[in-house]
Amino acid sequence: MSTLGLIARDLRVAVDNKEILKGIDLTVEPGRVHALMGPNGSGKSTLAFTLAGHPGYTVLSGSASLDGEELLELPPDKRAKAGLFLSFQYPAAIPGVSVANFLRTARMAVRPEDLNPAKFRKLVFEKLDTLDMDPAFLGRYVNDGFSGGEKKRLEMLQLAILAPKYAVLDETDSGLDIDALQSVGNSVNALRNSDEGKDIGFLVITHYPRILKHVPADVVHIMIDGRIVKSGGPELADEIERDGYDAVRDEVAAARA
Amino acid sequence: MPSGTTAAVSGLAFTPTAAALEAAIAFVSEHDERGGAVDAALRREALARYDALPAPGGRPSRGWKYDYANLPFDDLRWTSGRVEMPALPARPTARPATAGDVDLDRPALATENAGGLYFLGATHVDAPSNVDAKVTLLALDGQTVRDFEASLDGVLHEIVDWRADKLAALTTAFQNCGAYVHVPDNVQLDDPIQLIFASAPDDEAVFPHVVVVLGKNARATVIERHLGAGDPFVCGIVEVQAGAGAELDYAIVQQAGEAARVMFSRNARCEHDAQVRWHLAELGGALTRTVLGVRLDAPGGRAETSALFFNTGAQHVDLLSGVDHTVGPTTSDTVVRSAATDRGQGRYVGNIVIRPKAHGSDASLRDDALLLSKRAHIDSIPALEIAANDVKAFHGATVGSLDEDALFYAGSRGIARGEALRLITLGFFEPVIARFPGESLRDEIRTALDRKLDDATELDV
Ligand SMILES: Nc1ncnc2c1ncn2[C@@H]1O[C@H](COP(=O)(O)OP(=O)(O)OP(=O)(O)O)[C@@H](O)[C@H]1O
Ligand SMILES: [Mg+2]
Repeated sequence: MSTLGLIARDLRVAVDNKEILKGIDLTVEPGRVHALMGPNGSGKSTLAFTLAGHPGYTVLSGSASLDGEELLELPPDKRAKAGLFLSFQYPAAIPGVSVANFLRTARMAVRPEDLNPAKFRKLVFEKLDTLDMDPAFLGRYVNDGFSGGEKKRLEMLQLAILAPKYAVLDETDSGLDIDALQSVGNSVNALRNSDEGKDIGFLVITHYPRILKHVPADVVHIMIDGRIVKSGGPELADEIERDGYDAVRDEVAAARA
Repeated sequence: MPSGTTAAVSGLAFTPTAAALEAAIAFVSEHDERGGAVDAALRREALARYDALPAPGGRPSRGWKYDYANLPFDDLRWTSGRVEMPALPARPTARPATAGDVDLDRPALATENAGGLYFLGATHVDAPSNVDAKVTLLALDGQTVRDFEASLDGVLHEIVDWRADKLAALTTAFQNCGAYVHVPDNVQLDDPIQLIFASAPDDEAVFPHVVVVLGKNARATVIERHLGAGDPFVCGIVEVQAGAGAELDYAIVQQAGEAARVMFSRNARCEHDAQVRWHLAELGGALTRTVLGVRLDAPGGRAETSALFFNTGAQHVDLLSGVDHTVGPTTSDTVVRSAATDRGQGRYVGNIVIRPKAHGSDASLRDDALLLSKRAHIDSIPALEIAANDVKAFHGATVGSLDEDALFYAGSRGIARGEALRLITLGFFEPVIARFPGESLRDEIRTALDRKLDDATELDV
């Protein structure tokens, strides 16, 4: 079916009356990994939040759909139920709510049909193990007093437990030490190699090619000033690391001229 | 009627007047052979104080609709007495799920394996209780006051300053029920003692006076409950004396009926190295006013106060906590969490006094309020008065609404807004709930809060 995928079409988005995204076209196919790179402030997180339905972002035009289901009219929870997952660049804390309770509530919300408590417990402990996480995390309050790295691991734990159709990872690799990056990579790969996870399409927002060594990208996109100005193969990430964004900017300017 | 008991006969119409007080005094001497806990002369003096003292507080907000100077006392009955209860099963069955579900004929005394005292309105229901044999647990009446004169000396009428507290003066004048709990030196109880105040079918004016005395190194947990579907006016006093090295957890779970008015002045005094921990969950009633105090009179004393309230509908809650560090080093830790929705109105006044001799003391006061609707209002009024050097005092307060980032985060995990709101609100109370004694009590409070969320009509701002 031609509508399969996480698809943005001519998406223009404003925050506080300022246009940030100036027409985004992007298709993430099931089972494929797209990387999205771009300088600070270019609009990467804005795209992630817009897809997830953050109320602070105004869509000026365009559309977004997930396997044919229009997303933009849906509240955030319905988008998650449709199969979208966002790993936050800066995950919010929910004091007083334990990780265990939150995971269970989220899983029940997204997939009400399955898993008795014993099976759920087993699933959670398996995933904790893959991520090298201490089960003591389950008793802590969601992201409350977590270190940066711990927050990112918790995002990956949720990804593994919710097993969505499409996952947007917003700088999940930022602020991780080498071991944590390895754990995150292992977790994503374990998910992609599993039956439930093999068809997940990923949009990996990052500043560094190193995450792509663990989770190889099929396509790399470069966003500058609210536009995707260039797309290419995995080698594009290394070019950016070597040459910076100025080379791309010049190229785009030359093409326009 | 078995000898030594009095039936709770129909009682008197209640008004806070001299004529009504004389009728009450006559009623006690006629109907209760154990006599009242407060003698007639003191009752008359207390009523005079009640008349002379100004009503507490002003109106903290525009939406606040009660005036303590003009509380209506219509259609209340005043009575005093005891009835004997048919034997209960040794270990009562499950506790009632909600205030409304209480089976008034067969009150379940137990959370766990607790013994306790049970009152239906002001009537002491004399039921067998399986409290530890070393503990004295009696209705506070004339006979009890005479029998335990020595250990009540300096405690009864002395720890709560009723001469300076209009509502406590009213309690002293019209006292018609109460409890005396004495845990002797070195006795450490595993199971809590429960004091259950259930509303009578007809609305009563209930004036309880509770005295808890812990001997040296004694340890106990007391759970005071208010429940039942009636709409009483309850105005009580709780006095606590904690001997050297003693530790008391005193938890109050107030789930009175929808139109009930519940007011309490509670104060505790700590001797050397004694610890008193107040835990308050103010959940029911139309208007509640609670004073929770601790006086730290000897070095090493420690006060912990943990309180929560959640006002839904048109509930009003007035909460005052006070810790008086009279000497040092003493420590106190006060944590209050409050939330309001619909037209709920709340006021919290937190006082900490560190007197000149309280060197080396450490006091912390933290209160956070959550407003869940536009018409809800909570005032937070901290007051720290520090007259000693080299002390540590911390105060922090917030009033806010729900964290939109947290709501969005939960939403992005598939949790619908209403459910996320519930989760985050319950989480907000958790730091206070976590300090209540016993997991079953904590779960009970979580469940009660969850039900209140069900009943709230305005939950989004
Ligand atoms: N809530 C907001 N209020 C005001 N401005 C915003 C808001 N969110 C985003 N912006 C602005 O939109 C622009 C794009 O921000 P965005 O967070 O999408 O960038 P990014 O590409 O994710 O950057 P980074 O690499 O630093 O994470 C920035 O100029 C930012 O200041
Ligand atoms: Mg970003």
